[in-house]
Amino acid sequence: MKPPSKVQRTLRIVVVTTVPEHVTDESARATQARRNTALRIGLLESGYDIVASLPADIFLPERIAQIQPDMIIIDSESDARDVLEHIVIATRDEPRPIVLFTDDQTPSSMDAAIDAGVTAYIVDGLQAERVKPVLDVALKRFRREQKLLDELSDTRRQLADRKLIERAKGVLMARNKLTEEEAYQRLRTMAMNKKLRLAEVAQRILDVEDLLG
Amino acid sequence: MAHAFVSGSDRPEKTVIRAGFMPLTDCAPLVMASVLGLDDKYGIKLDLCRQHSWSGMRDRLLQGEIDVAHVLYGMLYGVENGIGGVTRRMAVLMNLSRNGQSITLSRALARQGIADLPQLAAAVRKGARRFAFAHTFPTGNHAMFLYYWLAAGGIDPLRDVQAVTVPPSQMAVNLAAGHMDGFCAGEPWSTRALLDGSGFTAATSQDIWPDHPGKALGATAAFVDANPHACRSLIAAVLEAARWLDAAGENRDAAAEVLSSPGYVNADRHAIAARLHGEYENGLGRRWIDPDPVRFHSDGEANFPYLSDGMWFMTQHRRWGLLRDDVDYAAVAARVNRVGLYREAAVLAGVPAPSSLTRRSVLMDGKVWDGSAPAAYAAAFPIRRVALAGA
Repeated sequence: MKPPSKVQRTLRIVVVTTVPEHVTDESARATQARRNTALRIGLLESGYDIVASLPADIFLPERIAQIQPDMIIIDSESDARDVLEHIVIATRDEPRPIVLFTDDQTPSSMDAAIDAGVTAYIVDGLQAERVKPVLDVALKRFRREQKLLDELSDTRRQLADRKLIERAKGVLMARNKLTEEEAYQRLRTMAMNKKLRLAEVAQRILDVEDLLG
Repeated sequence: MAHAFVSGSDRPEKTVIRAGFMPLTDCAPLVMASVLGLDDKYGIKLDLCRQHSWSGMRDRLLQGEIDVAHVLYGMLYGVENGIGGVTRRMAVLMNLSRNGQSITLSRALARQGIADLPQLAAAVRKGARRFAFAHTFPTGNHAMFLYYWLAAGGIDPLRDVQAVTVPPSQMAVNLAAGHMDGFCAGEPWSTRALLDGSGFTAATSQDIWPDHPGKALGATAAFVDANPHACRSLIAAVLEAARWLDAAGENRDAAAEVLSSPGYVNADRHAIAARLHGEYENGLGRRWIDPDPVRFHSDGEANFPYLSDGMWFMTQHRRWGLLRDDVDYAAVAARVNRVGLYREAAVLAGVPAPSSLTRRSVLMDGKVWDGSAPAAYAAAFPIRRVALAGA
């Protein structure tokens, strides 16, 4: 009978670091990159072994097969998540298959993880209590950076909304021969009647404009 | 008279329906249902939520962050049957479109004289190197059509070549860089690869199976069971949008304009419009008007949730070993595809519905699929995953 192993070796973690493709704004990309860095620092400071930070490119499955990590952490918004799903299915018959961390006993951890924007893929059989502390570090870091991202995205959204409203006012002024003030009042009235935000009403007007050509 | 039929006992259980969609041309019926105000007509409000990965779409649907989604038909059935670890009872409300996907091969292959399936098969057989092909999701439509196409040409997609999942945004750049030889995906990705010179269209999905099922409008079974009236209204609204799309070329032009915007597909209008009209070019000098372009409605025929459509994906999952054993194909499809609810919605929208639950198709290799004997159908393909001992 083998003696029980006393030393639990450090978890070997891979962080997939690509900034999501749909994030095109320069400063948002910089913030995302900072978020990835903060996550890596957080994990290292906590004593976890980050074996690799990998970009989400076509060689990711190969590199993961070579590295055989215990855990892969990726941004929930990354379009490269589907690459990892493929690895999950492809490895399910192998000695250490990788699964999405959806342990049914800890649904709230999974919800919290996804809310914070981190998705974890772990090797099957890895006890939840080993996974949890790593996730906690990841969540804390992600949440802190998420707050910054949210503020940035709010600012950008406000700017985009203003542009939409300006354009929609322009359309109403041209089509209905209104003054700017009248056009604005028209938008406000529609928004109140339909219980929509001003920007949503503006988008609908612009969509109709696209339709009518 | 809007709202006349959605008052009283038929009133939607919830009015705001969060609908996930991917930035693909075939999200059109869902997006246009919102843009045209058809949701309003049926007493609901569509809250469109753009997603960035199919797994993200699935997770949000399962967690209830979104209520319904524009999904890969195959992926939805994968979740129903627990392929890849996540199992949940799902529902198909309707089919959103047929046709319109493509298989794109690299320009480098064309330069080597490989422009069609037989030439590709000959090159693969020579064995000088390993060919790699990408799809969008391991259980999804594009994977199943890619595998079917390769196998019909005598290529075993699991053994003779490497098949990988690549995010669509990376497909063209990987083709150009020589990291892979081809991919199967939807629009506008296939047209983009054409326009940027990285690839050519070797086959359309309608070449593989004319009028195949496409993306489904899916949800969890729990959501549909708890909100049947809202779902009925939603189906009716999307049916009207689908009908509008098919009704006139100008409508599809207008849709292309709307879809091109950053909030939806975020692509050049030209990359979207041509194939919406069935105008194809393959990048090697061939231009044609396709007899089976993307169709969103076909007088209701395209939207009906045929049980045989759901069953086909399951037979292909079985064929490739994603399903390790046969399931009760007919019973699973009967509980997933909400035919009864669809029929009620079709009445509301004034759309005819076929009486049969299955339909008969002939695919590119001459094989007939009509929903009968699914286990035998899955087992009869000469190229399939050979069962592992003890598996």
